[in-house]
Amino acid sequence: MLEQLKEILSNKLKVAPEAITPEATREDIELDSLAVVELSLLLKSELGLDISDDDLLEAETVADMVRLMEERSATV
Amino acid sequence: MSTGRAAVVTGIGSYVPPNRVTNDDLSARLETSDSWIRSRTGIAERYVVSPGTSTGDLAVEAGLRALKSAGDERVGAVVLATTTPDQPCPATAPQVAARLGLGPVPAFDVAAVCSGFLYGLASAAGLIAAGVADSVLLIAADAFTTIIDPADRTTAVIFADGAGAVVLRAGSPAEPGAVGPLVLGSDGELSHLIEVPAGGSRQRSTGRPAAPRDHFFQMLGRDTYRHAVAHMTAASTEATVRAGWHLSNVDRFVAHQANARILEAVSDRLGIPAERRLSNIERVGNTGAASIPLLLAEATAEGRLAAGHRVLLTAFGGGLSWGAATVIWPELQTI
Repeated sequence: MLEQLKEILSNKLKVAPEAITPEATREDIELDSLAVVELSLLLKSELGLDISDDDLLEAETVADMVRLMEERSATV
Repeated sequence: MSTGRAAVVTGIGSYVPPNRVTNDDLSARLETSDSWIRSRTGIAERYVVSPGTSTGDLAVEAGLRALKSAGDERVGAVVLATTTPDQPCPATAPQVAARLGLGPVPAFDVAAVCSGFLYGLASAAGLIAAGVADSVLLIAADAFTTIIDPADRTTAVIFADGAGAVVLRAGSPAEPGAVGPLVLGSDGELSHLIEVPAGGSRQRSTGRPAAPRDHFFQMLGRDTYRHAVAHMTAASTEATVRAGWHLSNVDRFVAHQANARILEAVSDRLGIPAERRLSNIERVGNTGAASIPLLLAEATAEGRLAAGHRVLLTAFGGGLSWGAATVIWPELQTI
């Protein structure tokens, strides 16, 4: 899941790949509120995952986002 | 495709007020910076009205240029799309028509926020199709900064003032400049996403003054982004299908200049490459209803938009409201 998230963040949201580590916060990877909406839309269109921007905004780090993705993919 | 009288673009003009405001100017009074504004909105500078200048003043300037461009100083009607009329009553369009010396022609305002130009295009095309007028001056103008809270850094860095106008005349649906199928839509259940809560009958009928911030424009950014991307993408697709075009045939994509990132998200979904997208948001910001004709006028003057180009227009705004239309760009004189 981390690799899939990395790919979306770097290819679609132009985040520098080297900045995307499990410990990195949203601020570290410069993911502002509109980018979080775009990420939510991309997780749905690319991976079929339903994760709202509200949920993503509560994730403090990249690792927290990956955890959300794993939880949601387990329930589909 | 309709076979009745089409509305054909014959002139174009635009105007921005002289007062230029850079990101550094805004950073001097707001907790923000040039890089913060550029990276989040794509805007570097914008123009704002001076004290005492109104939407009508901007509209007259743009209207004058569009009439000159059309080479005909008479039209049969005036439609003004705006969110910031000179006063709550009456409409601003009749005063604009009078100031342009157009005589006792029908004149009225259209309120569809940032979709105003496309809604105005539908109104103007309707006046022509119904035989009310043989030509229409359609102006989209906003002194949008007059409803922006200067202390709200999320909107104060985005919105700006300006006007754009086109002259339309009755013609054949097959000729260049004929406005193609128009797709419009609205969703009033989400009116709260983009609003000025106070100042209308809902608040005034209470007899109580509103909280000061409720007289200013408010926008829920994340929800607006999501709906803007979805509706502009869907409306654009539908407009091209109804015109008998394929998205790969679109030579120039002209979307309401809301925010550089929304524009990128919509054109990526439509598969329209960067070199076919027109944009001027970096220099003028989000000018509300004015943004599409302002961009069309500038791009025509600069040659980025030329006769024969297949143009796809799309907009999204408060209401919610949205729309899209196609037009094969005609030969136009620029002023």
